[in-house]
Amino acid sequence: MQQASHDQVFTPPSVSSREFKRESFPPTEDYREHLLELEKEGELEVQRVPEPYIEVETKFGRIKKIPEQMTWHHKSCGQCGHIPGYSTAIFWLNRKLGYDYHDPRDQTSCTAWNYYASSTSNAAAQAGIAVRNFSQAKIDGYFPLIHCGTSYGHYKETREQLLHYPKLRRQVRKIMDRLKMPFVFPEEIVHYSEWVHAMRDRIAERQVLDLKDVTVTVHPACHYHKLVVEDAVYDRDLFDGQRTAIISGLVESLGANVGDYSTWHDCCGFGFRHILVSRDFSRSFATKRKIERMKEEVNPDVVLTHDTGCVTTLDKSQFAAQAHKSNVGIPVMSDAQFAALAMGAHPYIVCQLHWHGVDNKPLLEKMGIDHEKAWAEFEAQADRIKSGEIDYISWEEADA
Amino acid sequence: MPENPVLIIGGGPAGLEAARGVADLGYPVTLVEKEDRLGGTPIHCDYAALTPNLINAEEAMGAMVKKIENDPLIDIRTSTEIKAASGNAPELQVTLKGQSGEEQLNAGSVIVATGFKHFDPGKETQMYGYYEFDDVITLVDTERMLKAGKFVRPSTGEPPKQVCFIQCVGSRDRQIGNQWCSKVCCGIASKEAIEIRKMIPDCRVFVFYIDMRMYGFWEDEIYWKAQEEYKINFIRGIVTEITRRGDQVVVKGEDTTMGRPLEAPMDVVILSVGMEPSEGTKQMAEMFNLPLESHGYIESIGGALNTVVTPVEGIFVAGAAGGPADLEDSVSMGGAAAMKASAFLRKASLKVAA
Amino acid sequence: MSIYADAKYKDVPVETKQALFDEVKADMRYEHQLYGCYECGICVAACPSARFYDFSPRVFAQVMAREDVDTFYELLNDRVWDCSQCFSCTRCPRQNNPGGIITIMREVAVNHGLQSAKDALQAYSRIIYKIMSTGTQVAPDMLQPDFFPDWGPDVKQVSDNLDVWRRCVPPETMHTTELAWDVSEKTRLELYMIWKLTGNLEMIEKIDEGIYMILEEVMEELLEENGYDIDDFENLLDEDEDDE
Repeated sequence: MQQASHDQVFTPPSVSSREFKRESFPPTEDYREHLLELEKEGELEVQRVPEPYIEVETKFGRIKKIPEQMTWHHKSCGQCGHIPGYSTAIFWLNRKLGYDYHDPRDQTSCTAWNYYASSTSNAAAQAGIAVRNFSQAKIDGYFPLIHCGTSYGHYKETREQLLHYPKLRRQVRKIMDRLKMPFVFPEEIVHYSEWVHAMRDRIAERQVLDLKDVTVTVHPACHYHKLVVEDAVYDRDLFDGQRTAIISGLVESLGANVGDYSTWHDCCGFGFRHILVSRDFSRSFATKRKIERMKEEVNPDVVLTHDTGCVTTLDKSQFAAQAHKSNVGIPVMSDAQFAALAMGAHPYIVCQLHWHGVDNKPLLEKMGIDHEKAWAEFEAQADRIKSGEIDYISWEEADA
Repeated sequence: MPENPVLIIGGGPAGLEAARGVADLGYPVTLVEKEDRLGGTPIHCDYAALTPNLINAEEAMGAMVKKIENDPLIDIRTSTEIKAASGNAPELQVTLKGQSGEEQLNAGSVIVATGFKHFDPGKETQMYGYYEFDDVITLVDTERMLKAGKFVRPSTGEPPKQVCFIQCVGSRDRQIGNQWCSKVCCGIASKEAIEIRKMIPDCRVFVFYIDMRMYGFWEDEIYWKAQEEYKINFIRGIVTEITRRGDQVVVKGEDTTMGRPLEAPMDVVILSVGMEPSEGTKQMAEMFNLPLESHGYIESIGGALNTVVTPVEGIFVAGAAGGPADLEDSVSMGGAAAMKASAFLRKASLKVAA
Repeated sequence: MSIYADAKYKDVPVETKQALFDEVKADMRYEHQLYGCYECGICVAACPSARFYDFSPRVFAQVMAREDVDTFYELLNDRVWDCSQCFSCTRCPRQNNPGGIITIMREVAVNHGLQSAKDALQAYSRIIYKIMSTGTQVAPDMLQPDFFPDWGPDVKQVSDNLDVWRRCVPPETMHTTELAWDVSEKTRLELYMIWKLTGNLEMIEKIDEGIYMILEEVMEELLEENGYDIDDFENLLDEDEDDE
């Protein structure tokens, strides 16, 4: 141990020599153990993560299992509705990596719009909806992969409630009995960005673009890592395990640069109800606390995030803020779309970037993508639809 | 008749006071310390000045050590650890491992004075960035700098213009699981704040707190002094995040008095890390089968009215091994433990004689 | 009586306030969301709404921990709808969840048809209708310039090309303009059953009778088409009396 004396100035060790050694006892209970106990007591059925799976670290060092394939894609209504390239990119990544997945019609959203936004729901309804989706996944033979950050956080909350309240489990069982469905709960609740994180090296292997000049600012979704904090991806090699490694891990693997900024942990200001009916709040927050700071401190080429609400808020808030002469103008997209582009996905047929607000053409140019040619290709497909030659673009056109 | 000595484990303030007390009462002592120097945490962590009177830590601890050196009744074993223990007091068989190898010792009674360890900020619920930013340091780092005579901003080596302390780091927290108050950090932080202001008069110093724990005479000797003489800004509201803007760190909190969110750049942020049971405490508890109370410290029977007696006969606890303790507590417990450990030996020898 | 000289709602009987408070406290989620509060301000520091509105999660936690029903009633009517439900406040070292407490408070407000709840949700009714009748929200056809004038010119672009552009989205399930994805009838049936079995439909009646009536019609129709009677689906939560 260093001993200081009066004649030498002591400077605390710099961060590079500070190493965080995690203790072996996490302060929280292992939800998996609890789930399996309940299964043993016959209260519910636990759907196991299919093999092969990849192990990732979570906040207190526990290992989480991420399925490689056989995933049941629990879609996000905001994504599919307003950012269709986001969902499409997730599917495209699976297809390009050759993984079997299921895109169900037999799926409700998590209905958090009816819960967080308006509180016109209750714990039993929410748990019923969650379990219905999970049970359907089991019946379909695939393991749930959650597309939306809020759905993911909400389902983690639901899991906690089901584990702690026998009364709620009773209510859900009665509901499932009436629906003539089993009471199934997955072993892990997996967010698609955790799958992307687990796949980042495989994605990097198939990368066709050189991204070393691209600077990214990362916005981790509140609902991803602030709800049930222990269950989120952390990596001891990224931020010494002090911040969630999600998205940053992918960016590093792709050889792009992550820029740190002073409001990293701040919410984007989505607010649920606010983004629809009190938009001045969302807009102020997104532009003043997030975009302006990013622009001032990092001036990145793109903002990457992993939740529907965050993409929407950060992207759409920037237009009106220009009227206040705000320092905005950074394109926003999801980690999935970014990864897909890196692997050579079509920016319009797959990533559907024309649905985004802030102009992303400069970014595409920097990434080495000929967007004019790509747009012409997209318009050609659109023309085929307009002329009635085909009814829809299918995966055939997209996979090409 | 030669008696089995009182085995005192730990050579910090509690252990040193206990050793002096046992010897003064005429009983033999074996004092075991795992580091190569006596003095405990104030010496090993290079404390500059002790709270509250700002006496030089090295001098003060040096004086305590001097009082027990060269005493025929006190056998001092530094760089020594306890490897095994069996039997019951007053005939405990203990295995010591020192620089010259292992040796057996028969102990009559034991005083566990293994102190505490400082909380590792990486386990903190809030986002403090101790492992990310050079300019975020702990109370311990600050003591070392103050002892060396110069307080600087780590990233530049220059004197800072704006410094803040964040209280209760690692304590009073249900999420981490350390639900206790570590007792001394409010006093230590305020003392360090005074020292920094003395060294760098044009540096603004803030203390972000939930409650200022200023017991007894600390109230005016430290707290009022810090506010009135040194104009240290005590702000009621704990910082939740430390992030970086350019080359400065920024703290984000709420000034609850004003009811306003606050965000301020700082040159240095000092985390007032709390106490946790030390590795030595946990090991000795296992070795001597000492039950731990609900927070993880060595249990004493009788609560406030009996601070040093453990449920195991002949084994006593002193200082922070039994729970958060300041120097007064540790020294007082050391004295009480010395009295009880010696009394135990006396009763045992009277029984044999009878 | 409130401890504050400038308290509002002095004319509302304390029994009313107490009953609402007790209902929040009795919710099964409450015991793990509200412990004690030592007013450290971490929740406010992390809260986005606190920077924009005169809103403080710390005040909520303190008031509920003190069981101050008068101030609780004020919060229930005035500030509870400012929370943006981000849950940054779960950094609380006492392990409180102010956002969670607010969720329960809002549910109680809705269940009692408080005017302030109706006012807050007035502009939101069509969203409730969409989510409850289809299980999804945010349809592509919502992207219209008069609904989102501040989102920029791309909204108009999408709106003008909606049909073709939707057909250009590869996943089959997304070849829709009225819904985010094509939800199957079976799913909708099960969803309606869940709403009925949890008393969720009846909650809507308290907030917006018009939407409630339309929803009930839609649900009744689909259930009937599939051989079910909507009245067979009683509120399971009512009959759940015994606590383990």
